[in-house]
Amino acid sequence: MELSIDRLTKQYGRKIAVDCVSTVLKPGVYGLLGENGAGKTTLMRMLCAILEATAGEVFLDGKEICALGAEYRDLLGYLPQDFGYYPNYTAKEFLLYMAALKGIPREEAEKRTDELLEVVSLKEAASKKVKTFSGGMKQRVGIAQALLNQPKILILDEPTAGLDPKERVRFRNLISDYAAGRIVILSTHIVSDIEAIADKVLLMRGGKLVSQGTVPELTKEAEGKVWELSVSKMEAKAWQEKAAVANLRHEGEQVVLRILADNKPAEEAMPCETTLEDLYLYSMRGNK
Amino acid sequence: MELFRLEHKKLWRKNSTRICVLLCVFYCVVFGSFMIYQWITYGSTDNFSSHNFDGYENIRNCQAYSQKYGVLTDESLQEWVTDFKSLYAQLRDERKTQGAENPETVYRVNNSDMYTINGWLKTLYPELERADMLGVTVMSDYVETEKLTGIYERREKAIDTFLEISGQTGAERDYLLRINERVKGPFSWKWTDGWSNVLGNAVSGLGTILALFLAVVLSALFAGEWHDNTSALLLTTRNGWKKLATAKILTGFAFTLELFSMVAAGMIILQLVYLGTEGWDMPIQMVKMIAIAPMNMLQAEIYEYAFTLLGALGFAGVVMLFSALSKNHVLALLLSMAVAYGPMAVKNNVPVVLQQAFDLLPLVGSGADVFRTNTFHLFGHYIWSPYLIIWVPLLIGVLCLKPAVKGWARRMKG
Repeated sequence: MELSIDRLTKQYGRKIAVDCVSTVLKPGVYGLLGENGAGKTTLMRMLCAILEATAGEVFLDGKEICALGAEYRDLLGYLPQDFGYYPNYTAKEFLLYMAALKGIPREEAEKRTDELLEVVSLKEAASKKVKTFSGGMKQRVGIAQALLNQPKILILDEPTAGLDPKERVRFRNLISDYAAGRIVILSTHIVSDIEAIADKVLLMRGGKLVSQGTVPELTKEAEGKVWELSVSKMEAKAWQEKAAVANLRHEGEQVVLRILADNKPAEEAMPCETTLEDLYLYSMRGNK
Repeated sequence: MELFRLEHKKLWRKNSTRICVLLCVFYCVVFGSFMIYQWITYGSTDNFSSHNFDGYENIRNCQAYSQKYGVLTDESLQEWVTDFKSLYAQLRDERKTQGAENPETVYRVNNSDMYTINGWLKTLYPELERADMLGVTVMSDYVETEKLTGIYERREKAIDTFLEISGQTGAERDYLLRINERVKGPFSWKWTDGWSNVLGNAVSGLGTILALFLAVVLSALFAGEWHDNTSALLLTTRNGWKKLATAKILTGFAFTLELFSMVAAGMIILQLVYLGTEGWDMPIQMVKMIAIAPMNMLQAEIYEYAFTLLGALGFAGVVMLFSALSKNHVLALLLSMAVAYGPMAVKNNVPVVLQQAFDLLPLVGSGADVFRTNTFHLFGHYIWSPYLIIWVPLLIGVLCLKPAVKGWARRMKG
């Protein structure tokens, strides 16, 4: 299975939300990383065929996805960023409704719904109305509905938003287990989530796909560009003004800065190991 | 089918749906039927103004009073008028000698079906009506009994005169008279006031109430998805918007049928409890003498219920169209109400052609047209209005479905 994105572009008036994105996605987990407005959601909506591209196409095994229609949707699981629900339905009823929309026979839907409610730790709350749920619980209902039809292509827009740390770990494990033989695309601001589960990271900026690769490949890009510098509190403020400071921690009277720079920012600066977050922040420097 | 079942369940889960159904049933069944039968209209009155809470018993007395006349003939009509005159004379005498009427006499006068029968007299014997007695007493109190003859010939003449006054001449007149030829006398005569209310007000007015509640519930059927922000979810499922749209349409019609059935069942049960079945075989001419429809009361009631149901289904189609075309269910609600109540409000102040066009709109026309001589002139043929106004609203609703599905799909795809 191969999802090819060919020069995909979406333009709203003068604003280009997604700018000529091309890539090929094979089974695995893809983390879509980018700041707000980078075009992640727009790209995902086009991959789901719910938003028409201004230019470019998406192919699944060589066939254009819009032409595949229901056949493509049958392979698709999607969790939108602003996940809508029916307030008066219980979690179970909502999932059964979604299962019917996905064309899953009733008996199978009942079984699958029970399984997924267990998976997302909502079995106890299955008969409670969704409107009474917390944000995290609603998000878990959303994740469950995306998994109902055991999709071959799973697209999750900010799936970990609203989940507590324990649930995030649970979700990451679920996706890792689920991803075998499937294409999973997820976007999030939480870099550690992507770092933990993504086989490949797609880095977007200003609608463009600026970088892509595995976490080690990408962190290599930022190698030699991350520095640690110990300065006084007074100096720390000045450094924050003039350099891209990824992190700062207090150590007694001193402040240890993590600085992103192409060249050694100061004599005393020491190179340090890079992380995905460093790369992310490094590539976003221009938007500071 | 599963999608329809769940969509239907979703609609019924909404508080607004439940409240609307409750209010509609309460208004039509409790207020519009029970209170009318037991108190407001059929409670006995012993002072010509306020009513007692004894409708059940009072209706039995009314029915018993009229039973003795059996069949409408010159003799039975004269007998009724004679009885009434003596009753009314007694009332006048009591007023004169005791300063007030005896409540028992008032009660008997009111139970005599006098309002309907005075209507007959005015229609059939207009020359016997005295202008100087208007507002003084009722016609059956002073009319010369022996002049009340040739009732069926009089009826034919009254229809002729009415058609002439209405400007219905030539081929149209002949067409209407051909329908009237199937009305056969002599007419069976039972208490008519109950049927008059059922056919003239209760059933024929039902559509006005249904329109409000159908608009409130169904305007959110499609547009509500925008409010719930579920379009992205729906569009990425195998069945997508197409099967969902079909499920929604079926849900809209099923709900309409259910609401109608609940209200109609309640009204019919109360009708059976209070009025029983007596008089079902009376011709509708006993309510309105110049009606031309060869129908008995039961047939007319079936027509009126069918008219309301088909109108409601047609209206449901219109509401679903607005709901599908609008992202805002309040706007869909306002448009739906405007389509029903707008024409209803201005109907009597527009040219006849426009009035007739309005009558074809769902729930705007009236099932009580079975009592009228309205016609449509289409392709050189005259069509009695009840034949047309029962089907056209449904057709309008059905025609709304395709643009509703298309419009919704277009909007969903954004």
